[in-house]
Amino acid sequence: MKKILVVEDDMPIRNLYKEELIDEGYDVVTAPDGAIGYELYKSSRPDLITIDIKMPNMNGLELLDKIRKEDREIPIIIYSAYGEFTQNFSTWAADEYLVKSSDLTEFKNKVKELLFR
Amino acid sequence: MSAEDIIKDYQDILRQYNILNQISKTVASTLDLNKILKIILTGVTLGDGFGFNRAFLFLIDRHSKNLKGRMAIGPSSADDAWKVWSEIQDKNYSLEEFLDSERFENEQQLSFLDEKIRNISIPVDINMVIWKCLEDGIPRNIDISSTVPGGENEATINSVKEIEPAVLFGEVKAPAQDNLIQVININDAALIDAELAEYMDYPKFCIIPLISRTKKVGILIVDNKYNQREITPDDIKFLLLLGQFAASSIRNTIIYNDLKDSISALSKLNMKLNYLKDYNEKIIESIPVSIIVVDHNFTVTQCNENCGKLIGFEKETFIGKQINAHEIFIDGVSLIDEIFKVIRENKAEGFYKVNMKINGEKTDEIFDIILVPFRFSEESPEGAVIIIENVTNTVRLETELGNAKKLSQLGKLSATVAHEIRNPLIAIGGYAARVKRKFLEGEQTDIGNLEIIIEEVKRLERIVNEILDFAASREIKFSHVNISNLLLECINFAKAAAEQNNIDIVFECGSELVENANLHVFGSRDHLKQALLNILNNAIDASSKRDKIRICITTDGKDSYYDFPGSGHGGQESFSSIFSGCRTEGEPECIIIYVNNSASLSNREDIKNIFLPFYTTKTKGTGLGLTITKKIIEQHSGAIEVCSSIENGTTFAIKLPLLDI
Repeated sequence: MKKILVVEDDMPIRNLYKEELIDEGYDVVTAPDGAIGYELYKSSRPDLITIDIKMPNMNGLELLDKIRKEDREIPIIIYSAYGEFTQNFSTWAADEYLVKSSDLTEFKNKVKELLFR
Repeated sequence: MSAEDIIKDYQDILRQYNILNQISKTVASTLDLNKILKIILTGVTLGDGFGFNRAFLFLIDRHSKNLKGRMAIGPSSADDAWKVWSEIQDKNYSLEEFLDSERFENEQQLSFLDEKIRNISIPVDINMVIWKCLEDGIPRNIDISSTVPGGENEATINSVKEIEPAVLFGEVKAPAQDNLIQVININDAALIDAELAEYMDYPKFCIIPLISRTKKVGILIVDNKYNQREITPDDIKFLLLLGQFAASSIRNTIIYNDLKDSISALSKLNMKLNYLKDYNEKIIESIPVSIIVVDHNFTVTQCNENCGKLIGFEKETFIGKQINAHEIFIDGVSLIDEIFKVIRENKAEGFYKVNMKINGEKTDEIFDIILVPFRFSEESPEGAVIIIENVTNTVRLETELGNAKKLSQLGKLSATVAHEIRNPLIAIGGYAARVKRKFLEGEQTDIGNLEIIIEEVKRLERIVNEILDFAASREIKFSHVNISNLLLECINFAKAAAEQNNIDIVFECGSELVENANLHVFGSRDHLKQALLNILNNAIDASSKRDKIRICITTDGKDSYYDFPGSGHGGQESFSSIFSGCRTEGEPECIIIYVNNSASLSNREDIKNIFLPFYTTKTKGTGLGLTITKKIIEQHSGAIEVCSSIENGTTFAIKLPLLDI
């Protein structure tokens, strides 16, 4: 079973992603901020990571940078409520950049695509 | 005496008067002091004139009062003397011709004596013959070839020919009586200033005082070093006449030149004054304000063109006019009344952004008006200066700026709102779709999912309320509020929220003020509750798990919260305005509430901007909470401040005036 790490500070959204991804048949671990996200990345060895950008402690871009320094292969989806982050080239290190939406179809498609490419 | 001798004598006298006449005519033609001195000395030395070998002039220096060498004419050696005289005689000049000639103008040959005399300065010493001579006006005939100590002879009275000098020179008065002159013979070298004796380098000479009426001008010295001719009483008599004439001429010229200098200085000063006057007027004309100066009768004594335009008069017609009480009004009050007050109280007064009514016509323009008491001199009664500035454009720009600011805030609001409501919308939409799908798949509905939807809708409502609070404030109703009671309620409420994160809320001081005291403020309970909860919730949000939030409440002085962070004791950061006005005389008693948490604001910008709308250091929130809090506190005549440091964390201080019950 593929394992996915969801790093998201907004509790309702974190839970939504978790439940939806479990329904898709994945093993899901979640973290409420970047710092805990990094610890879980080290300890739970996920197959894919989804990261929100605006978070306390360590933000998504810092986390992305930190993980990429250790692992250039692991698929990472970065997303935000803010579309303007596409202008920030730090996001280019991720495999996908998504703008948050209540319709999770695209999100789920991208997860599948990246896991089985 | 034979008839020939008498005739020869008379011819000599005539010749000498002729010389005096020529000298006086030439002197009268110029006002150049140097030229006059030169004419006199030349007349004394020229063969055709008195024929003395050398002549020296000393004038009294007006600053040091010393006799200073001024000019000397004569050859510097016997050879030289011979050359010069023969040259002049060859040309066969008369004195007058010579004085007018270019040769005279350019005379530079005899400059050795002349150069040297300028270095001689004889200090006042009444024992010296030269000063005695100036004192009594009697010429001295010096012969120190065989010096006799104490060799000052009695004045010898020499009789001379019967000639009335006054006929020739109106103002000359010979000190001698009628036809007698006095001469004192000196043969004691000790009575001659050493410097002078050395310079003369010849033991026989004659000192003639130059005195104009009673004013001492200087002395003339002559000698016959080269042909060694004895100086006769007749010589002295004529020299004395010349001396008196020379003294007046020199003195007149000096006075004239002084006068000329004074006049030129005066005219320069006058030019400068005119320039300054023009300069000041230009400044007054060029500044874009209206300036009116009135005297104690409200009569205009000065104004600028701008003011003419404003009042509707030409500047020239306005000056001298009396402003009457019905003419100019500032926001309905007569200008005259205000000027009267300013003059009476001797205190400047300003009226800002006011309308003016001039001659019954009200303008749409807006003005700043300043009245300043003004007194031109000690004697004149007090008047006033009226400065009127048209600030219509400034006020319009300010309004536009305010509108632009509102628009920019609206833009920020839209962006913040859009972002802030996005997360709950995503959650609501996502969970709604999930519930629907589960329902369609025949699965049991997850109550937890529905609860999240409801919670998120509440979150949206809160955001909307905050925005409404900021944008259009709810009506605020004031009544007596028990602040002790309210604080306790808020703190208990906050404690419940804090416990979830293991955060402790503790009293550092003033708990008795909350628990037992019955303190009241005049205000809105709901609004104050919102403000206090905002501050407490912010402190909780900023705290990490197991942090402490410290509260201190005080109603008097500064001592009771001596060690409280940010109270100004020890820490670099301190509250400034919170304390000013609290517990000072005439001010109401205050309550100050400090709320401290250990997290510091990371930079100065945060501290500066923390109360600005839409400014937030949190990852969530509209950035309106503190803006609203500040607004509420200020509506209650209170104040709120923040200070932050790494050592002490962040402290908010709220000051509210207490009701005196």
